[in-house]
Amino acid sequence: MTNSQRADVNGHKHRTAVAPFQVRGRFFTAIVLQMTRGPDAEFFQAVDALVAQTPHFFSDAPFVLDLDRTNAIGASIDFIGLTRELRKRKVMLIGVQNGTIEQNRAALTAGLITLPGGYDTPPDANKKREGAPKEDKGPQEPPSGALLVTDPVRSGQRIFADTGDLVVVASVSSGAELIARGNIHVYGRMRGRALAGVNGDSTARIFCQSLEAELIAIAGLYKTSDTIESSFRNQRVQAFLEDGTLRIRSLK
Amino acid sequence: MAKIIVITSGKGGVGKTTSTAALGAGLALRGKKTVVIDFDVGLRNLDMVMGCERRVVFDFINVIQGDAKLNQALIKDRRLDNLSILPTSQTRDKDALTREGVEKVIDELRNEFDYILCDSPAGIERGAHLAMYFADEAVVVTNPEVSSVRDSDRVLGLLSSKTRRAEKGEGPVKPHLLLTRYDPDRVARGDMMKVEDILEILSIPLLGIVPESPTVLSASNVGTPVVLNESSNAGMAYADAVSRLMGEQIEMRVLGPERRSLLQRLLWRAV
Repeated sequence: MTNSQRADVNGHKHRTAVAPFQVRGRFFTAIVLQMTRGPDAEFFQAVDALVAQTPHFFSDAPFVLDLDRTNAIGASIDFIGLTRELRKRKVMLIGVQNGTIEQNRAALTAGLITLPGGYDTPPDANKKREGAPKEDKGPQEPPSGALLVTDPVRSGQRIFADTGDLVVVASVSSGAELIARGNIHVYGRMRGRALAGVNGDSTARIFCQSLEAELIAIAGLYKTSDTIESSFRNQRVQAFLEDGTLRIRSLK
Repeated sequence: MAKIIVITSGKGGVGKTTSTAALGAGLALRGKKTVVIDFDVGLRNLDMVMGCERRVVFDFINVIQGDAKLNQALIKDRRLDNLSILPTSQTRDKDALTREGVEKVIDELRNEFDYILCDSPAGIERGAHLAMYFADEAVVVTNPEVSSVRDSDRVLGLLSSKTRRAEKGEGPVKPHLLLTRYDPDRVARGDMMKVEDILEILSIPLLGIVPESPTVLSASNVGTPVVLNESSNAGMAYADAVSRLMGEQIEMRVLGPERRSLLQRLLWRAV
């Protein structure tokens, strides 16, 4: 107990100097193995065959076991042995999903985590990208389309431009949230929150006609209204990342 | 076909029910067949403010659940022929409201009335959502203070996304801002937000400015909609708002709080 107290005090002191860590959200792609049977010899043979096919593709990639189809065999799976066997083959198992309560408990004891949700990548997406010529597709949809918003963005509303830039030609109320993969432009009063470059694009910028924002963030680095210099209030500004810090400049 | 108007605010205690009663009575005074519906299931107030609480036999929920006919639940106002009240249940809660049930009742009322005013409960949950869902227009009741303005802003967002008009792409619900409990003296002192600042944030047309007034409270307590008190500033402000709701262009006047007369002031001092 005294230890933990001391740690708290120390931690607090250090926070003013150099933070021991920074918290960031980051997306990773995991490979899911959907098991159709228990981990028997045949299972490992199939894994060997898969790894032999593309040895580099799977090395160091995080693997998740989908137990959906093995719910019937219950917690009889030896997760510790399974993890060890897979590691020998450079298949790094990190967790399980869709298991029964007993299976999840057994997996947790073996040091694995249980993961909810997730989306499938279309299995042929990679093949298309690799070599297939695009000639028969005609003019392709540009991957980065801007989203234009002409109505006021009200408190509690969240607008997500997942394809690129977000352009708002009305006011953004406090309590509203703008999120974009690319840049954010606001031509009304900007009183809400703006998060640009949410997929990690550190070249994204935020442009405001009148900055009164509660929070602005680019690629995870943020400033709140308290830390935005008051000289920028109600000014035409841009915000961008420079040397790993979020900077605000007037647009003159 | 009736025009369906929701009186809403998000925040509680800003004067939704008082405003519903006043606007409903005002529309009826101007010869429009009007019905006011209390959506605040479980916290029955509208019938009290309208002074008909002792005449409630059947209610909105009874009609939705098929236990009573609509005409059995509708209460005709004793002062105004054109005004009817559909009270709500005090013993049930908001889960008793269903979208289909509300739609059925509103469709039935639509053929009979010119205006249907829906008195929304506070909050943004089921009751408030169903009160606004079928609306053509919305009166957003706001007090000149920051939390009320923010809640109104939130409600405006819901009006543009969570209503039948929004979902069916029939054009937006037409919003009106009704400022209540406005005190010009306190605004001048900087205790309350200015009208311009509120309009700048919410950016919707102003329906009226109702001054803070003791006559509002006393009118609610005796069950007479304040608009029937033609000599009070609040009553006049509501009458102006009714005219604007009917599409008339009239000048916006900011009425101060009621002043005591010279005699009253002398007597006040004597006390």
